[in-house]
Amino acid sequence: MHNPRTRRLSGAWSLGALTLLSLAVLAGCGESAPADDANSATQQELTTAPEEGMMPTTRTSALKKIFHAVPSPIETALLLEASGVNFSTDDLNDAGKASGYQTTGLQAVNLGIYAGDLSYATIFNRNQEAIQYLNVARRLADELGVGDLIDGALIERAEDNREVRDSLIHIVTSTFYALNARLKENGMEDVSGLIAAGGWIEGVYLGTRNLDGATEELKTRIAEQKLTLDNLRSLLASYPSTEDLAGMIAELDAVETAFAGVEIVEHAANTSTTDDGLVVISGGPEISVSDETLAAIAEAVAGVRNHYAN
Amino acid sequence: MKAIQHITLAALATILAVGASSEASAQCRSFTKKRCLPKLEEYVQNDNYNTAVLIPGDEAELSLTFFGGRAYRLLVCGHPVLGDLDFQVLDARGNGIYDSTDKDANHFDFRVANTQQMIVRVQVPQSSAALQHEGCVSIMIGSKG
Repeated sequence: MHNPRTRRLSGAWSLGALTLLSLAVLAGCGESAPADDANSATQQELTTAPEEGMMPTTRTSALKKIFHAVPSPIETALLLEASGVNFSTDDLNDAGKASGYQTTGLQAVNLGIYAGDLSYATIFNRNQEAIQYLNVARRLADELGVGDLIDGALIERAEDNREVRDSLIHIVTSTFYALNARLKENGMEDVSGLIAAGGWIEGVYLGTRNLDGATEELKTRIAEQKLTLDNLRSLLASYPSTEDLAGMIAELDAVETAFAGVEIVEHAANTSTTDDGLVVISGGPEISVSDETLAAIAEAVAGVRNHYAN
Repeated sequence: MKAIQHITLAALATILAVGASSEASAQCRSFTKKRCLPKLEEYVQNDNYNTAVLIPGDEAELSLTFFGGRAYRLLVCGHPVLGDLDFQVLDARGNGIYDSTDKDANHFDFRVANTQQMIVRVQVPQSSAALQHEGCVSIMIGSKG
């Protein structure tokens, strides 16, 4: 697979002297952002200089910024747990394989896959596995140049809080949020997208490992992923194309074909308000799926997952 | 000699523009962490980073799926220099579900009965100020059971 980091770094030396000069000028332009890591996220004083996050603009024409979001691996794991899935270590990607992923594309997708495993272990209170997969994530994040976001202090904090599920959930979500932010800030949106794809694939893979004993709720949750697959494909298509992104989109074609068997009848959403003032949104799509379609989804997702993980 | 000076100035201007953009992005990450994330309170944050540097008149839009049976906090967090941001939540057909206009809140708490895709639209108000500023805008989603 292509290594985009090499591409991005090419030509950097030729601008080195000018960059140094410019950095010297920029140093006086505002407060430098502190190193962003999940470890400091909860410890840092929640104050900020008023000028942070703003500056005079030179842009004059308005634009429309479009975002696409997918469920985080923790959110998917929470849904799986609530749907009656049983935890099985055998379903997780072998942590020992991490050192074998040598390209940026494989490292990014498998970081997402391991994020799925880490989230799954965290939600099911499998603390030993959770710490193990956090260490694996650290290794791959390091390979991707953002290893400082999962440093020794973070691992130590996770170890100290291994019995407190909410703390581990916070550590996992804030770590991957910081990782996404850093990758986008560094112009590595494609890597961020591949990680999101890996996480999505692993979530559906883990949810479809034992369909024989699946509850109706789990079947519905799997079928609903047709909607999130749309979100994922839009997310991947929103970034400048790379060989790895194009490869992932092509791999997902088979999954989309399998999900085509999920029937969705659209209805308008409507709202109501509970006695305590909370808005409840109901209506929306009516989703149905056959066991045959679920089996096809399970097979297609396993095919993509194993293409990257094995 | 003049040609070399022009090339040098152009290169410097480009690098300064890139540097300023990078500086703005880094400031957004810090701004979001300090000023926005805490407002999710007990909701588990989604790890998508939906943050951009916007100016008056800009719009942002986020598409995502909300799962039935879960409660959500949608937080639209912008730098105060941009003024009060308005946002709307639309269903998959484009029908309005919520509009923050004339409401003094930067977040919308709700529960979803049935899983569905929704669209969040954010508007940065126009400004008549002589010196226009750009500022960070972050659309954040937190959920709980």
